[in-house]
Amino acid sequence: MIRVSNLTKRYVGRTAVDAISFNVEPGEIVGFLGPNGAGKTTTIRILTGYMPATSGTATVAGHDILRDSLKARRKIGYMPENVPLYEDMRVKEYLRFRALLKGMRGREARNGIAEAIDLCGLTEMRGKMISALSKGYRQRVGLADALIHNPELLILDEPTNGLDPNQIRRVRKLIKQLGLSHTILISTHILSEVEMICDRVIILDRGQVRAADTPENLINRLRTVGHISVEIKTPAVMAADKIKKLPGVKKVMKEIADGEWTRFTVRAESGTDVRESVVALAVANKWSLREIHTHGASLEDVFVELTQSPHTG
Amino acid sequence: MPFTITIGLLLSIIALSLWKFLSGGTGMVLLVKELRSFFFSPVAWVVLTLVMLLNGFSFTAALADLREGERSVTLTAYTFNSIQFWLAYFFIFPVITMRLFAEEQKLGTIETLLTAPVTTIQLLLAKYLAALSFYIILWLPSLLNFLLFQMNSTDNSASIGSLTGSYIIILLVGMFNIAIGCLASALTKNQLVAAMICFTFCLLHFLVGFILQNLPVSDVFRELVTYFSTQVHVRAFIDGLIDTRQLIYYMSFAILLLSITHHVLEFRKWKV
Repeated sequence: MIRVSNLTKRYVGRTAVDAISFNVEPGEIVGFLGPNGAGKTTTIRILTGYMPATSGTATVAGHDILRDSLKARRKIGYMPENVPLYEDMRVKEYLRFRALLKGMRGREARNGIAEAIDLCGLTEMRGKMISALSKGYRQRVGLADALIHNPELLILDEPTNGLDPNQIRRVRKLIKQLGLSHTILISTHILSEVEMICDRVIILDRGQVRAADTPENLINRLRTVGHISVEIKTPAVMAADKIKKLPGVKKVMKEIADGEWTRFTVRAESGTDVRESVVALAVANKWSLREIHTHGASLEDVFVELTQSPHTG
Repeated sequence: MPFTITIGLLLSIIALSLWKFLSGGTGMVLLVKELRSFFFSPVAWVVLTLVMLLNGFSFTAALADLREGERSVTLTAYTFNSIQFWLAYFFIFPVITMRLFAEEQKLGTIETLLTAPVTTIQLLLAKYLAALSFYIILWLPSLLNFLLFQMNSTDNSASIGSLTGSYIIILLVGMFNIAIGCLASALTKNQLVAAMICFTFCLLHFLVGFILQNLPVSDVFRELVTYFSTQVHVRAFIDGLIDTRQLIYYMSFAILLLSITHHVLEFRKWKV
């Protein structure tokens, strides 16, 4: 559905998107994940034809977004960040305007509007002025606009931004429901959201794709990024030094548990399991060990691991 | 002959862009939406009322003066070569054009517009034509004054040549100044700034003929600059002289300004 290859966007003195390539297959819900300023919105704006790329190509449903822009745009339902809307229109008027603009006429337009209003739960609000709507309803109007012409591809830029928890849940549910019949690309920086609704995640950082995989695979791949905690009865400083010298150990933190017990949190390098060597070390030094526990990685760990810059890390 | 060719060329450019604009109906949808936002905002009605009032005043004043005795000017010339007319002239353009692009940029709706299957040309022409249509509607009530007078008068006091010339020049300066307003509005997010830019350029264009009057410059230069003076043009037209040079001047400048506006709108897409 989306084919992006070597897409680059340079602004004066800054490269926002740096030769990224990725594909989105029909029927997928793909999460576009990255810290603020990673280049998500820029990539989306290029895909929707709002601005051209400096170099590289992108096609949407087989249409080049630059050369065949109008045809490509017809296939896309796009909801920009912060959902810009005309304040002086009523919900139904606005949706009617958008339907006509997207080339729908007569019965087709009427049905499209009715369906979108129904799907987004706007029935009671359709006669209201847009300026009088709450943030949650504005978001829904934006979503209704995006899907009014039943596009093959929905691109949603931070659809749950600024909503309260209940509204977020409703919007997520709606997106999942839409995912049954549409290909969806959603950008977000909320991790749990991606874990909940996306089939696949593309992690973007400083203009580059750091990873593109299913949430489960990403977590599996980096499972050992997770940390273990051990409680040992021993003078803390000496033990911490010894644990740190074990092969594969990256970082050791210690805290007093109770009495003479100290809790060590050990972070290991990817792909190594240090539990065994920690136990062996305890035995060799005749420390009493009362608990050892491994914490599985979450998508959050993956995200932090992939997007932490060397300066802030 | 060259004039005929140039005018033909201009008209065919206009016809071509209109055809391209209307094809597919997208242009019409945008145009209707723009006109709708004009008439659903109080600004339109305030402007309409003010222009009607000003026209009414100058028309009444002209009638009163002509009743005094023989005069060498026509009723239309009296009406349009008045302070009231120029007062309306200066506030109309900034007020009706400042909103066009500045508001879309402020709200961010320009992004939803240009990611729908709409070309920048269609958007530009829709906004321009909407503003121009509103401008034409502004002057219709004043035409009614003359028509009613004509129906009730026994002689030919409102001469047809003068009347036609007046409304043609009003349309021409409208085309020109609304194009200035479009450009000003595309340049900024701030409606007030757009209005100020538009007003400044309308004023400068108007003043070109005036400011040199008492300055020590050569006559050639003075005459050259007077060529561009709106006031001189308007005077000639309301006396019934329909000058093709001005037809070309205003239309070609309107097209030039609109194409610059188009570039400005496209340029927006290239920067942050």
